[in-house]
Amino acid sequence: MSNVRKTALHSGESTTSELAAYGVLGVSFAAFVASWALIFQWIDETATFGGLSVLQLLGLCLLVAAGGLVAIGVVSRLGALDTTPSNTAGVTVGVVFGLLWSVLGALLATTFLGGGTVLWIPAALVFGAAGTVASVLPREDIGSTVPVAVILALLGGAIALGRINAGWTWEPAWSSAVFPGSELVPVVVIFGSLLGAWSGAKAREGFGAQGREAGAFALIGTVVFGMLAVLLLLIGFIVVNGLETVLTGAALFDGTLSLFGVSLPWVSFPFLTNVTGGLFVEIPGVLPATIGTLWLVFGAVLFAVPLGVGAAVFLTEYAERGRFTQVVEVATNGLWSTPSIVFGLFGLAFLVPRISGGNSVLVGQLVLGFMLLPLVLITSREAILAVPDEYRDASAALGVTKWQTIRSVVVPAAMPGTITGVILGVGRIAGETAPLLLVFGGAPYPSNTPNILTSFQLTPNPPFVTNEALLSPASALPYQLYSTITAGVFPKDIFTNQQFGWGTALVLLLVVIGLYAIGVGSRLYFRRKLHHE
Amino acid sequence: MSNAELDQSETTESTSQLTTSGESEEAIDDEWLDYDFQGRSKLAVDDLDVYYGDDHALKSVSMDIPSESVTALIGPSGCGKSTFLRCLNRMNDRVKTARIDGSVALDGAEIYQDGTNLVELRKRVGMVFQAPNPFPKSIRDNISYGPRKHGDINKGLLARLLGRDDTDQEDELVERTLKQAALWDEVRDRLDDNALGLSGGQQQRLCIARALATDPEVLLMDEPASALDPIATSKIEDLIEELAKDYTVVVVTHNMQQAARISDQTAVFLTGGELVEYDDTDKIFENPESQRVEDYITGKFG
Repeated sequence: MSNVRKTALHSGESTTSELAAYGVLGVSFAAFVASWALIFQWIDETATFGGLSVLQLLGLCLLVAAGGLVAIGVVSRLGALDTTPSNTAGVTVGVVFGLLWSVLGALLATTFLGGGTVLWIPAALVFGAAGTVASVLPREDIGSTVPVAVILALLGGAIALGRINAGWTWEPAWSSAVFPGSELVPVVVIFGSLLGAWSGAKAREGFGAQGREAGAFALIGTVVFGMLAVLLLLIGFIVVNGLETVLTGAALFDGTLSLFGVSLPWVSFPFLTNVTGGLFVEIPGVLPATIGTLWLVFGAVLFAVPLGVGAAVFLTEYAERGRFTQVVEVATNGLWSTPSIVFGLFGLAFLVPRISGGNSVLVGQLVLGFMLLPLVLITSREAILAVPDEYRDASAALGVTKWQTIRSVVVPAAMPGTITGVILGVGRIAGETAPLLLVFGGAPYPSNTPNILTSFQLTPNPPFVTNEALLSPASALPYQLYSTITAGVFPKDIFTNQQFGWGTALVLLLVVIGLYAIGVGSRLYFRRKLHHE
Repeated sequence: MSNAELDQSETTESTSQLTTSGESEEAIDDEWLDYDFQGRSKLAVDDLDVYYGDDHALKSVSMDIPSESVTALIGPSGCGKSTFLRCLNRMNDRVKTARIDGSVALDGAEIYQDGTNLVELRKRVGMVFQAPNPFPKSIRDNISYGPRKHGDINKGLLARLLGRDDTDQEDELVERTLKQAALWDEVRDRLDDNALGLSGGQQQRLCIARALATDPEVLLMDEPASALDPIATSKIEDLIEELAKDYTVVVVTHNMQQAARISDQTAVFLTGGELVEYDDTDKIFENPESQRVEDYITGKFG
């Protein structure tokens, strides 16, 4: 086995090359963070440090990273480092760098040489080929550092020399948009720093299989953090915009809580506890819409969960696997991806005339229930299929009937999975607006909350039970938000349309998160019960 | 058909089997299957054939299983001994492709006929599986699961309201079966803990206790110790010998030493789903009639 190379089992403790690799990683990370800070305007793009603008510093970061990478690659190629590179960086890397280099080439050609298609197409081709060759042909330690370093050096150089600065604008011919340098530079630096981090992570582990793993982990880790960042950005944005509205008039110990005839000081939270319309409301609140949303979700879950779980039990435990179950499966998946407005239209044309003759809470609940049904069915089906057959065998061997087995072993064991489906579905239907516009919504700013619990009345004639509130329209948070932002002329002076809208959005977010927390909590409860934890 | 003709046709049939299957080196002599035991017959199996689709998994097996004793079923993998065991409480009904011909009688009552009450049958013929499979419930609930589903133990809010709460009976049952399964001392303080937290050997003894809770007459065990370490195995073996005083135990095992240690009589199945020899365990292990059985037991084959 002459082609098997062996290196020391332990690499040296902290060599210069590792320090250099850490340096590249550190510089890339700093540039990455600083660029995000610039995008969110936590750092002013005109700020200067030691005579250099922030953008120039970012460019310098890229240049430093490029220098470090070239140094590591070359020294490793010369055999002075204890690295374990493969013979080539691989075709995937080659293709990726071919694409990156061709983009770079095309941009360079159009920016510095002017000219149309004649110039940029050959430039892209030449650069792309060069990038692929540079990354595939040399040994891995050169192939996965130098092509990166060239890109970083070009970008970093252009930025650091001030060729691209805060005042510079990019006005691509294919779009009417104008990209100012102050926004373009951070974006470019973010991509550059990701490349640098990938290459640095590979170098840190001495290339080879371990290096590729480290590089992949570096990219995956960044993607995960990126996802979290997007989520936090979204929530943070809504909180920042809505918090002022929601907190208007709120005070500790200002309100009263009546418990068994005793009034206690309590938190006063007018935006959450006031009705929206009405003459004597100083600070309009979102209570009717919140209650409306909760009733909608409650009704939909009440309708969809028993049906969905029941259908899942039938499909997995009773029905013969075959054409019929396949058709049901396809139909279920289709139903889940049906646009919500179609559900709304169905409710408007079919349910409204038959049930309430107009928009109503009940029809809203049913329509949202229809939307929830397929997801509950899909997830509980998966969960029931995942229940080990050993439980069913054990139960049958004790002489317990199939139905009793399903009820006391299979469904409880599938409960966490079912609840996961309900959580996902509730998140979707709680914020659903389109069908509510058609079948549910009444006045967007009602002056009273839907009083569904106390409206049940017995009648001597069929249908024997009536509920006026359930058959009347109401308001829900997404519906109210939509009305406020699009058409609504908000009736009170204290908030502008926008302010009230942001406040509503924040409350909607909190309600959804609250429902989510309830779901996660109950899933945890059932998991604890099922497993030894 | 006269007797002579009948004998003739049987001989030809076994000869043809010999020639067609090819792998059989000797015809099965009916005398090897004649087993005169002391005592009462609990299960009488007559001419039992099992097919999985086109696969003929069990070929015309007939044997009587005596009560209050341990019967071991041994043989190489895929020889049909587990299939045979699962026929005794009709667990093979749960396999959609399975087709079963022949007769199995429990105390003289045929179990393969229309109108057999499967609940009652499986209450009387309990089963323990190869891998421990306790429910993801508490130890107590695992044991009382069967009786509660059968309505023999009532518990819960409604039972309490109606004054029919059987908590005391349940406690007695749990204690009795856990003691029978030699598990009581290890779990008495944590009956309400989840059964999945027990070790493998404890889980298997819990499964035995669970099977005993429905008060069966026959206990079928499908390689009950194959997933366990030697210490847990020896506990299960002691338990089986103890249980044979009151129950009819039928145990499938791969381990010939185990069969020799614990069983009173042994049935040897060999490849192709045939029962080759059935006799006292001592006889089978010391002086088997069939050459193939001897080869198998001495390790020359399988």
